Amino acid sequence: MRRLATALALVAACRGGGPAPAAPAVRYGQHVFAGGAAPPGATFENPYRGDRASAAQGEAIFGAMNCDGCHGGGATGWVGPSLADGRWRFGGSDGAIFQSIYYGRPHGMPAYGGLLSSDVVWKLVTYLESLQPPPDLPTEAWDTSAR
Amino acid sequence: MKRGLLLALWAGASPLPAVAQDTQWTMPAKDYAATRYSGLRQITAANADRLRPVWTFSTGVLGGHEGQPLVVGHTMYVVTPYPNVLYAFDLTRDGYPLKWKYRPDVDPNAVGIACCDAINRGAFFAEGKVIYNLLDGRTVAVDAVTGKELWQTKIADLAKGETTPVAAFVVKDRVIVGASGGEFGIHGWAKGLDLATGRIVWTAYNIGPDSQVLARPGTFRPFYDKGPDLALTTWPTDVWQRGGGPVWGWMSYDPALDLVYYGVGNPGPYNPDQRAGDNKWTASVLARRPADGSLVWAYQFTPHDSWDYDANAEMILVDLMVKGQPRKALVHFDKNGFAYTLDRATGEVLSAEPFVEVNWARRVDLTTGRPVLDSSKLTGASRGNVKHICPTLEGGKTPAAPAAYSPRTGLFYVSTNNMCMDYQAAQATYIAGTPFIGATTPYHAGSVGGGNLGAFIAWDAVRGRRVWEIKERYPVWSGVLATGGDVVFYGTLDGWFKAVDAKTGRLLWRFKVGSGVVGNPISFTGADGKQYVAVYAGIGGDWFLLAGDVRSDDPADVRPPADFSPDIARHTSQGGIVWLFGL
Repeated sequence: MRRLATALALVAACRGGGPAPAAPAVRYGQHVFAGGAAPPGATFENPYRGDRASAAQGEAIFGAMNCDGCHGGGATGWVGPSLADGRWRFGGSDGAIFQSIYYGRPHGMPAYGGLLSSDVVWKLVTYLESLQPPPDLPTEAWDTSAR
Repeated sequence: MKRGLLLALWAGASPLPAVAQDTQWTMPAKDYAATRYSGLRQITAANADRLRPVWTFSTGVLGGHEGQPLVVGHTMYVVTPYPNVLYAFDLTRDGYPLKWKYRPDVDPNAVGIACCDAINRGAFFAEGKVIYNLLDGRTVAVDAVTGKELWQTKIADLAKGETTPVAAFVVKDRVIVGASGGEFGIHGWAKGLDLATGRIVWTAYNIGPDSQVLARPGTFRPFYDKGPDLALTTWPTDVWQRGGGPVWGWMSYDPALDLVYYGVGNPGPYNPDQRAGDNKWTASVLARRPADGSLVWAYQFTPHDSWDYDANAEMILVDLMVKGQPRKALVHFDKNGFAYTLDRATGEVLSAEPFVEVNWARRVDLTTGRPVLDSSKLTGASRGNVKHICPTLEGGKTPAAPAAYSPRTGLFYVSTNNMCMDYQAAQATYIAGTPFIGATTPYHAGSVGGGNLGAFIAWDAVRGRRVWEIKERYPVWSGVLATGGDVVFYGTLDGWFKAVDAKTGRLLWRFKVGSGVVGNPISFTGADGKQYVAVYAGIGGDWFLLAGDVRSDDPADVRPPADFSPDIARHTSQGGIVWLFGL
């Protein structure tokens, strides 16, 4: 307990009186923040968000880079997870999607940052963000007698 | 009954000496001939309705439980899907407790490089070792008594798209292995390792110049093809180096001919416009010498495969009367929908008859060995969306679900699929470590079968016809066990494990095992002298992709049902259970 307090004090001291920390880079629900404190970091914002031409380019890149080979046509899922259902294993913020593509993820998502420029990765992000997820329906029902 | 007895008599039908006794099950397909036949006969058509579960064990892993347990003496060995834990159960003690378990450190990236779920097809017992492949490209040998690792060898490279779910196959002092990756542009191969040390003794590519294919002058004599470098000249320049040709199915061995047989998978990419030519030796059977890997003969079932018709299904070695002559035969149920009978000494095709609905080819020309194509079913990016091709790329039978042969009935027992596909090919770009596919291929139910997506059939390879069939609502994806009691066992994707009469196909017994069956049943004699049957329950493999709604393990990946099979998740969900049944 005492150790934790010391560590927190140290963290606070390091922050010093400088400018207010940037918004947390990690924002998705799966993360647990030690001591309840979200880590500060650079904010990733998609420069092309909502741009239809960029989304169309991103869709072409999605095919050309073989993303559809794992995530399926329309990114609806194959051996890799669906990227079109509004649910995200590693977060659905601009930055989280960017980092998933740029750095890769465990269980076989390749890192594309060595192959694609940041600009191209952002176009992929724009494409995925342009997909309109269907309403999130947690219930799959077969017995129609109850309807 | 008389017919069965007669057949069994002339047959001596299984000419090959059984390596394992019927009390045990020491290699994936029970014997080198890959019959999956156990002579045990306590369980019969008369008493099978009294079968009951006697023991279960959760493997602790969800996902496709393909493959089968081994039983050596009174120890049962089970390999799980990734992360490839090996369990050793003591069948002499109450409750069959573990003797040990072996937990290797397997690279999780293999899960995403494996095309179709993180499955494993099982182990092989030889010389006191349990030998199997880890998904991340390693072969391990574990001491069967102590569970201690004896050696491990890196055989494959994840970075090139190679993964290794295939079962190892041991002949004398060679461990023969292969790799998956037909969807990743690998340069497919088989390797022969030294049983004692794991050292790689030979590497034989399935594609490329004779020097790489180990097609040596004077040794390699294919029945239909002539000339040097056949596996090079049937490809565009350099394309062969990423042409696929994976090895992920089942192997067999004829000790008299000293030949190992294995099937080679699809050429890559799926868009055939990118690889003009026959693309040898993809979609083929190869016969090699186990000691040095030399290629002795090869036959290509599907030249210039344009439908992802991998030939990885088992090659079952039996002696059959063909046109009145006894022949040393090899029987193979190909993804392409034809049941082939070959002369296993030479690779000559003796017969090839469709065992499911087939429309990509009209027949196989026995003079040339080549299929007679229906040109309207050829695919390629230049041909647009080609409709209604039968069977689908899942196969008339999936190679993942090996058939069985009973010398008592002379029949083959085969899990089949009744589905057709549309095929829209597109240009694919090779990027190492990413998929190299180039096709979209939605499925629908076949024209025959009344909407049923599968059937379990008994096949007469001499006459080239079905003897009986059991229609199944879903594709049948389990391997088969035939027994001396004339009871045949198989499982279904909706989670039933079934015993049927080998002669008539009459359902004798069934039990709901908790998850769809994609594994292969085995039989053995317990320490109490009684006959038992073991099988895994755990839907997966291609069904991990095709029916994404059977999964409940990831709240971030919740998929709608497959349009061609809308209600399978009503009947099953993922699992990982070892079942033991007895009287």
